[in-house]
Amino acid sequence: MIKKQFTSNARRARNIIWNAAGDYDFEPPFMAFFPNGAPDHYYNMIIGLVRKWLDIDRIGRFFDSYTSDRRSDEFDEFLWLGLENCVYEKELVERPVMERLRRQRAEQFYIEQANMSRQQMEYQSMPVYTQQQARWAAVLGKHLPVMSPREKRMHEALCFAGDLDTDGLLQAMSEFLMTFFKYEVPRGAVSHPKRGGLLKSLRGGHRRKDHFLVRTGTGEGDHPKAVTLTHDGLGKFVPPTQEDEDYIRAVFGKSTLPESETEILNIDICTGADANCRVWVTKGEEPDAAYRDAADIIARRRHQRELNEKFCADNRAAVRSAVKSLSSGMETVFESYLKHLPEPSRAGRLAPEKVYRMPVLNDSKVFTKDGEETEREVFIDILLDASQSRMNSQEVISAEALIAAKSFAALNVPVRVSAFRSLRGHTVLEILKDAGDDDCRGICGYYAGGWNRDSLAIRLIEHLDDDPHMAGKQRIVLIMTDANPNDSVPVAEAGHLLTKEYDGAVAVSATEDAVRMLRSKGIMVGAVFHGNSSHMGDLHQIYGHSCVRIRKPSQLSQGLCDLMLMLMSRR
Amino acid sequence: MEGLFDFLREEGVEPRLLEGVKAFREAHPVADEYKNRIPVPEYFYYGNETWELALAALLAGKNLLLAGPKATGKNVLAENLAALFGCPTWDVSFHVNADAASLIGTDTYNGNEVVFRPGPVWMCAKVGGFGILDEINMAKNEALAVLHAALDFRRSIDVPGYDRIELQDGTRFIATMNYGYAGTRELNEALTSRFAVLNMPLIKDEDLVKLIARRYPDIDMKICGQLAKLYKELEKKAESAEISDSALDLRGLLDAIALMDQGILSGAALEMCIVNKTFDDYERKLIRDVIAARIPDDLTRDAVFGK
Repeated sequence: MIKKQFTSNARRARNIIWNAAGDYDFEPPFMAFFPNGAPDHYYNMIIGLVRKWLDIDRIGRFFDSYTSDRRSDEFDEFLWLGLENCVYEKELVERPVMERLRRQRAEQFYIEQANMSRQQMEYQSMPVYTQQQARWAAVLGKHLPVMSPREKRMHEALCFAGDLDTDGLLQAMSEFLMTFFKYEVPRGAVSHPKRGGLLKSLRGGHRRKDHFLVRTGTGEGDHPKAVTLTHDGLGKFVPPTQEDEDYIRAVFGKSTLPESETEILNIDICTGADANCRVWVTKGEEPDAAYRDAADIIARRRHQRELNEKFCADNRAAVRSAVKSLSSGMETVFESYLKHLPEPSRAGRLAPEKVYRMPVLNDSKVFTKDGEETEREVFIDILLDASQSRMNSQEVISAEALIAAKSFAALNVPVRVSAFRSLRGHTVLEILKDAGDDDCRGICGYYAGGWNRDSLAIRLIEHLDDDPHMAGKQRIVLIMTDANPNDSVPVAEAGHLLTKEYDGAVAVSATEDAVRMLRSKGIMVGAVFHGNSSHMGDLHQIYGHSCVRIRKPSQLSQGLCDLMLMLMSRR
Repeated sequence: MEGLFDFLREEGVEPRLLEGVKAFREAHPVADEYKNRIPVPEYFYYGNETWELALAALLAGKNLLLAGPKATGKNVLAENLAALFGCPTWDVSFHVNADAASLIGTDTYNGNEVVFRPGPVWMCAKVGGFGILDEINMAKNEALAVLHAALDFRRSIDVPGYDRIELQDGTRFIATMNYGYAGTRELNEALTSRFAVLNMPLIKDEDLVKLIARRYPDIDMKICGQLAKLYKELEKKAESAEISDSALDLRGLLDAIALMDQGILSGAALEMCIVNKTFDDYERKLIRDVIAARIPDDLTRDAVFGK
């Protein structure tokens, strides 16, 4: 719950920042929280306003330049006091409510201080505390605290003027640190950065404090030890070998397809952007813990299964209620959009073959109308992105997939759940629940790790069409994704010596082609999106309008119903 | 309807188009029994470019499809157009089970005789009114196929076994369709090609200020500006899919001002008319944050209306 709480507060903080900045296409490099974890509304607005009025990337770079100094936390808090004054003055004319919000923040400061424990006070930096006290006392028109001449000068210096631009502000910040702390900021931190440098440094530095301003990483790493996979660079690629296949077999279990069929698939679908890759379809049967370093991963998978099962058990009531609500919503969707079976009626379409009944038998039911019964001739494939980026939400994703599968199963709609990830050049599709399985517990075997080559996984699912429950039915593929495909196997371009990394626009475009191909075969494709706002553009490029965004499990029911409604209405 | 004509003149709508509308009204008088179907708009649509395009299309005899996300004023414009042209309207709200019978008419029986009961589209065609086809993309495409002949050059409706009628000269159809992040569905090509499609722009900041000020002439203009900005910020949040568009409700904003006019404090009024439009607790928090960043929650009637 703590993690969930943090995530929800972090999202709220982001929203306040984005709103103040008037821009939702960036990942805030800072967020502000109170000690109890609630977002600090005023300071998050200030962060957003820094983005609005100044070059936040350069300012972030400045903050990053002293992270190795032991006083960096103090520097952060001093400089944010300065920034607060600067952007407050800039924004006040356009947003008069700032004055009131600033006063409320000042009052909040005193409330926080009154509630602070002795231990917390001991951890508090006194120079910072004095400056904060001076700032908020001034805002409320109170007497300033007793300050030494140096502290008074510091207080005045931290009132960065509202007419400063980014250069002027960086200069002021730099002078402040030099004057009061004899700290010389590296020249590069004040001058214009080289392109791309900042992003890298922000992502690299992920640290978190219990209160006040928190530096964030990519926005995906709000979990300790979060891992982001990175590309090693071009030119090192070696096609998958037999050893890689042995490893995949040992870790994920034997292939459900005969060797010859896997070979045909490799030839048929590992083409174009997915050339040099291989596919592996498994049900996780017979993994081999004795194989080299497979034992560790197998143990971790087992542990994750236990965590997933525990999460579902701990939230049994919520899962049951979600299944109920989703299946009833889905029933409405099916009833609305699937073909209604006709039933006799007293008004509607005239049924000529029954007309004689009116004069002869005095039966007025010679019309037909759409009856309440519908045919449910659909087959659902739920495809889960099981890459490393999903690592922080494995329990939630497996619970969501379980809810979806149980809901469809409750309506007698055959559903198959599979997870995909790419490792060592192999895109592994792991079938967690087959359409014929009544038991949905296999879904708790969901485990995130590796890359995600979405384009190949989507091509692969099209070929898994030999399930007996699929005969004569409309196939629907629902993908739970973060719309951020990437893989270590680069894209080989015919006629080009150089290869391109499989990520960014290249990977998105390849996935878009795969989705288009699936649709051209009459398969409906929709996406349930769990990712960052920065990938929304990619999401729409790949799936068009056939997607919904889910921010938390409670939105799953409505989101899936909306998505199914969209898909069914296009039939 | 001089008020609407005056408003459009003030907005700078091309006078030649307005003359065209007057000529249309004179050429298509409305029978007394249908006069109660001519709408009297409560709000005027702002955006003279959109007005000009819509007027030109209707004067040229085309049907109009107003497409755009929620709260772009599709229905307000449709109602304003019918009022300006002085035409009776038949509103049809489409839903997933709308079928040909609910549009054209249905078979029923009278004693031992099967008879035809006319539907709204049939009536509209016969009287020469404006058919407002609301949320047309909610219906299944096969249900809409019956409209093809009515909407294209044939301008007729043929009901097998009954009659074929020609559309009155003044008959026009204005359809609306919503699309946004969540998307509803796309209209099929055959139907879309029978409409002039007008992509409804989001209301501009200055037009929103004018809209509020016209409805509430006493409002303090600074507060009016902040309320307009608040709406635009919610619009941006919905566009970014951080909140659903439930709270993005222009009517809700105007209703909130109406409540403030009745003496309710700003916080409570906005809570009731905007925040509570969404039933997701977390989403409500996000919306409250946006409101708090613009409007103090204790503004009194005197503060809002400058009295």
